[in-house]
Amino acid sequence: MPDVDIREYLFTALEAASDSGATYVDVREVSTESQALATRGSAIEAVDHSESVGYGVRVVVGGAWGYAASARTGDDRTAVDVARRAVAVARASATALNQPVELVPEPGHVDEWSTPIERDPFDVSLEDKLQLLLALSEPLESSPDIRAGKATMDLIRSRTTFASTEGARIVQTILHSGAGMEATAIADGDAQSRSFPGSFRGHLAAGGFEVIEAMRLGDNVERVAAEAAALLTAPECPSGRFDLVLDGHQVMLQVHESVGHPTELDRVLGMEAAYAGTSWVSVPDLGNVRYGSEHVNITADGTIPGGLGTIRYDDEGVEVQRLDLIRDGILVGMQSSRETAAALGADRSNGTMRADGWENFPLIRMTNINLLPGEGSLEDLIADVDDGMYMATNKSWSIDDKRKNFQFGCEIAWQIKNGKLGRIYKNPRYTGITQDFWNSCDGVAGEREWYLWGTPNCGKGQPGQVMRVGHGTSPARFRGASVGIGE
Amino acid sequence: MTEGLEGEARRAIRSVLENAPADGVEIVSVSSDTGLTRFANSQIIQNTVRQEVRVYVRVVVGDRWATATTNQLDESHLRAALDGAIAAAKVSPPDPEFPGLAVPDDVGRPRPLRRFDQAVAACDPEGRASRVREMLKAVGHHNCAGYIETLAGAMTIVSTTGVDCSDAYTRGAIQCLVDTGNGTGWGESYSHALDEIDGVKAARAAAAKAEASNDPGDADPGIYEVVLEASAVATMLEYLSWVGFGAKSMIEGESFFTERKGRRVAIPAVTVLDDATDSRSIGVGFDLEGVPKQTVAVIDGGWASQPVTDLRTARQLGTTSTGHSTGSVEFGPYAANVVMSGGDHSLEDLVAAVPDGILVTRFHYVNVLDRPETLLTGMTRDGTFRIRNGEVAEAVNNFRFVQSALGALSAVRGIGDDARAFSEAYGSFVAPSLHIGEFHFASRTSH
Repeated sequence: MPDVDIREYLFTALEAASDSGATYVDVREVSTESQALATRGSAIEAVDHSESVGYGVRVVVGGAWGYAASARTGDDRTAVDVARRAVAVARASATALNQPVELVPEPGHVDEWSTPIERDPFDVSLEDKLQLLLALSEPLESSPDIRAGKATMDLIRSRTTFASTEGARIVQTILHSGAGMEATAIADGDAQSRSFPGSFRGHLAAGGFEVIEAMRLGDNVERVAAEAAALLTAPECPSGRFDLVLDGHQVMLQVHESVGHPTELDRVLGMEAAYAGTSWVSVPDLGNVRYGSEHVNITADGTIPGGLGTIRYDDEGVEVQRLDLIRDGILVGMQSSRETAAALGADRSNGTMRADGWENFPLIRMTNINLLPGEGSLEDLIADVDDGMYMATNKSWSIDDKRKNFQFGCEIAWQIKNGKLGRIYKNPRYTGITQDFWNSCDGVAGEREWYLWGTPNCGKGQPGQVMRVGHGTSPARFRGASVGIGE
Repeated sequence: MTEGLEGEARRAIRSVLENAPADGVEIVSVSSDTGLTRFANSQIIQNTVRQEVRVYVRVVVGDRWATATTNQLDESHLRAALDGAIAAAKVSPPDPEFPGLAVPDDVGRPRPLRRFDQAVAACDPEGRASRVREMLKAVGHHNCAGYIETLAGAMTIVSTTGVDCSDAYTRGAIQCLVDTGNGTGWGESYSHALDEIDGVKAARAAAAKAEASNDPGDADPGIYEVVLEASAVATMLEYLSWVGFGAKSMIEGESFFTERKGRRVAIPAVTVLDDATDSRSIGVGFDLEGVPKQTVAVIDGGWASQPVTDLRTARQLGTTSTGHSTGSVEFGPYAANVVMSGGDHSLEDLVAAVPDGILVTRFHYVNVLDRPETLLTGMTRDGTFRIRNGEVAEAVNNFRFVQSALGALSAVRGIGDDARAFSEAYGSFVAPSLHIGEFHFASRTSH
């Protein structure tokens, strides 16, 4: 059994909550260190170092949940007070309760785990990191027609200590690193952007500075600037029915919004109804509903190396797993917690509960929701299109409260004519209905172009929580998609 | 509790500020004491209380600067944050556009708004649970979901240039979704004062909407005359502020102000202010640089008048800060106390003026398609109805809209007398219902 170092005050909180009547208690201390850097042209827009330390006590009393959190760590008296507050909260919850909380079993794991890294990004000098960014943003902004050239870097290390009245003693250290760049060309009231590796602060992954070094950011400066400038004079993307090929980055968000969220069991069971909404699928649909074509195979995999959802244990001490959500196009799985797993008839949670920091109650969150690779290449997908569009890099997204009607925008599109890429278009958008769209998928590119993307800004819950999640995707093709904004 | 945290923070901050080895130091302390009770499937499902304090340190070394943040109030953590920021500033490139820290003699000294209600600050878990029980009772057998939040917050800013200001505020928020199984409805209420948020009223409104929404039919997508209820208008204003009200986006060419400043962007009856002093607004009276928030007529009588600024963008524009710093150079200034002037029509009057149109209760999952054009997309939800001959008729399935926000404000035909505050997170947006002549629904969904 590994030697797990847990601060004594957390056990004080466990005992105090138990002594106050809690039938289940877990405590979770989170210490987060982050660095955010941003440059624009030759100027600095952010040089920030941040730390946040605190803990939360989660209890079940009378079949109801309570949670209290504090930033004052290490102090026994405060720990007792926080624990008692959590119990008082749960007693209040119990006054409006229909279905008492029941948790499916999970062994009390005792373990310590860290994200494997090659180079600690916090050991890299700030000068070197700023130089790396300035070497991107300066040439971007000095390129023809580019009004703003920006580069960003984000480094986040979180150390989580978890202990429960069921014997769990877990320490995890998760490190996420990422960077990216964006060029914005502006003329005559038109603003067009291109980014790399992805939009919205580039790309983040689990790992150290080697994640950023592997991006080969500098090799893409010229292309990014040229494409942004070219979009200013490109025609508007035409509307109509087209065969549609999406790059991996856009497939990432398509998976995220139309598969990841609708298969979260808390949404399916109505627990997020008021804010984010519910789902178009229900538990009886498992094994019975065709979600997409036979090309569509999607997993929730917290075990795959390098993803923003790659952890060893979730925030209720459940060992993360790999499960099938969609197999050969059929819905077969949903993401669960210890409270909701019983609704699936499962005897174990599949380990997807995560919280945004110490101050928040854990929710079902995507780990890495991956579209498994198919066969062939992006070139093969395009070669089999007579009249279509190839869209790249997500720019906007919106989907209804049951995750059916969606609309996405991309940064750029290329016309596909007789299997070849042609002219570029600006403002490409497409819309659809989740089930119809995934059923129109007739090709997913193979492993060579499969990439584990990071989505660093997934919002859910009230108060709002932001989570970093992963999506492994490769380019995919959809027949007869509705390109444009609709009618 | 928040007052206590603030006092503790203030003592530690003062200790660190003295003799700081930098040319300038600004320290911002933001503290909050929040209780949030969520309910769904007609029971409480999540219930949390938390105390937070964040201290933001900005240091200036010559014409270089850097920032650090911590939530640990002991002097060693604060000094470590300060020393780290100084070290970072020293290796950062010079910033010739840095406007300096705020100097009170130049920018004014803020006076606290004290929009603080002790009843909100004192509301305990049982107080929130009792309101949830009343809401569940009010909707009878219907499935109900939502939350009640009580938040007491405070902000203090001190600097080596003489800024020394504090303010405290409260926010109470209630949201309620009712689901009959065949239709959904919505109610919500926000105020700084507990006795002004009425959960039972919101619940009853949601139940009535849900019952009226039963078994919706289909309406074809297209351009419709619409009545947007105040919630939908507030969402539109929030996104309009995000994409265009700040001076940074104007300077960078991505705001409607870039091309249309001083030009008409809405009908003359439309005036949109950022006004922290409005009694319905929620929050404090100064920005993250310690500059008093000025009341800014962003859209004045239909004209694109003036964006909001911080010290940096004000210097770039050759003007003075309006007090809208977010503390982020990347993001730039932001209007977070938006107030749209109300009209003199009741909601019923607005509907009565529509021969054939759509009534929208609220929007869902809005996003930006084109910033300069203020082109937005999103869905309707929780009560979308056909209007026929001036009366609310049958429920219809939800639409996806694709619509320029300024285009909508240019097509306003009537403004409601029901302007009220909406405050889901940061800031507040006071909005009335609107009758709009043309509004584009691009597609629909099946519920």
